[in-house]
Amino acid sequence: MTGESTLRVIDFGRVSGLRSQTLWHAIAHGVSSGAPPTLSFMQPGDPYVSIGYHRSISELNPHNELPVYRRMVGGGPVYVDDGQYFFQIVVPLAMAPARRGDAIRALLEPAVEAFNDVGISASLDERNEVVLGDRKICGHAAGQISGSVVVVGNLITRFDHGAAASIVRAPSDVARDEFLAQMKRYVLATPADPGLFLEAAGRRYGEKLGLAPEPGTLTDEEQAQLNIFDTLFVDPEWVDASPARENGMWRAKVKSGVWVGSAASDGHRVTASFYDDEIKEVRVEGPDETFEEMDQLLAALAADPPI
Amino acid sequence: MTSQMIKGFEVRMDRLYDLVHHMWIDLLADERVRIGMDSLGVETSGTLAHLSAVGVGTVVSQGEPFGSLEAEKYVGPLVAPLSGTIVAVNDEVFSDPGRVESDPYESGWMIEMETTDLAAERGGLIEGEDVIATRFAQKVTEYRLEGVLAE
Repeated sequence: MTGESTLRVIDFGRVSGLRSQTLWHAIAHGVSSGAPPTLSFMQPGDPYVSIGYHRSISELNPHNELPVYRRMVGGGPVYVDDGQYFFQIVVPLAMAPARRGDAIRALLEPAVEAFNDVGISASLDERNEVVLGDRKICGHAAGQISGSVVVVGNLITRFDHGAAASIVRAPSDVARDEFLAQMKRYVLATPADPGLFLEAAGRRYGEKLGLAPEPGTLTDEEQAQLNIFDTLFVDPEWVDASPARENGMWRAKVKSGVWVGSAASDGHRVTASFYDDEIKEVRVEGPDETFEEMDQLLAALAADPPI
Repeated sequence: MTSQMIKGFEVRMDRLYDLVHHMWIDLLADERVRIGMDSLGVETSGTLAHLSAVGVGTVVSQGEPFGSLEAEKYVGPLVAPLSGTIVAVNDEVFSDPGRVESDPYESGWMIEMETTDLAAERGGLIEGEDVIATRFAQKVTEYRLEGVLAE
């Protein structure tokens, strides 16, 4: 049993790709209805693509054959497989700071401590990215689901950069290659022991929240909610509910502050990597090495980074 | 238009407010209202990446979501301060959420609604210059004490 001063810790182990999404959505409803704050873990058993709540499946590679699940938290399209162990911290709304950025930071700090506990010198940068040096080592997303705040992250023990780059719709092979190159440069797997990480995270989240970690299970209400989400998340209407937003320019985020952009004009396409305000790795496709509108397109891309 | 700066935040005194969810309400005519986010809501949200809303004709209840926002990969609800039917959605703001940040009280409006129980529900909202000024200042102070806002 878990009481008012406990942090329920649930290790679901290896689950289906679908369940690696629906389980924690069900927990969010449970915590909203009075279940204790909860830290959950799971390893997705099969690969899939997850898209953020406001993102459109039109952003995905039309040749993608993996299942696509639309989550109720933010961020962009991501490739998921069993090399990524996911953790979710779910707390009642009142326990999280009111400012969204502060809530994410507060609920990622214990995870960063857990990374350090298992020998990975992680830190949380000023953009709330969990990094090792300048490389991202943990994807994250957050949201309010019912009356709970959820922050999701992952321990990436193995990362398939090629698969991750392949799930995104890219305007050309050059753009996809550049995206892949930047992913390889800036996204790093940290093969720590998942069991040790889980143990450390339970301890660190307990300390942060002033709660005693206790192993737990789903409530009956959460089980019922899980069945609802299992149905909803495979409903094409749900997956495709967010409209496409096209403005002729393509952008793909690698990590906060680093992204690849591409735009075309007059038979040419320019693709570049952006590091904050800096433009690097400019690549041109077309009959000429440069073209009249190139600087204009680069400036337009730079002025509208993915948030 | 009556506008005041309260502890560094612009507040329109000709509006009603739901300070829990940081929404303003402009009474347009009869039961029709226009709704948007107040300056404190904008400040605590962070840079808005995405906004979405239910469609025109949707019936929503006070306290229930009429849409959602995303900032810093955090998705949260936009909460209806009154019950009624959505009769207009500001498409420009939903395709360019930055308008909410740059002009929250005018071009950054979000929806218009034909309310169904305005007389009863407005009792739970903040209205009147003195009350708005006092309660808004209290909220800012509360947020500063909690560390939500910088001094």
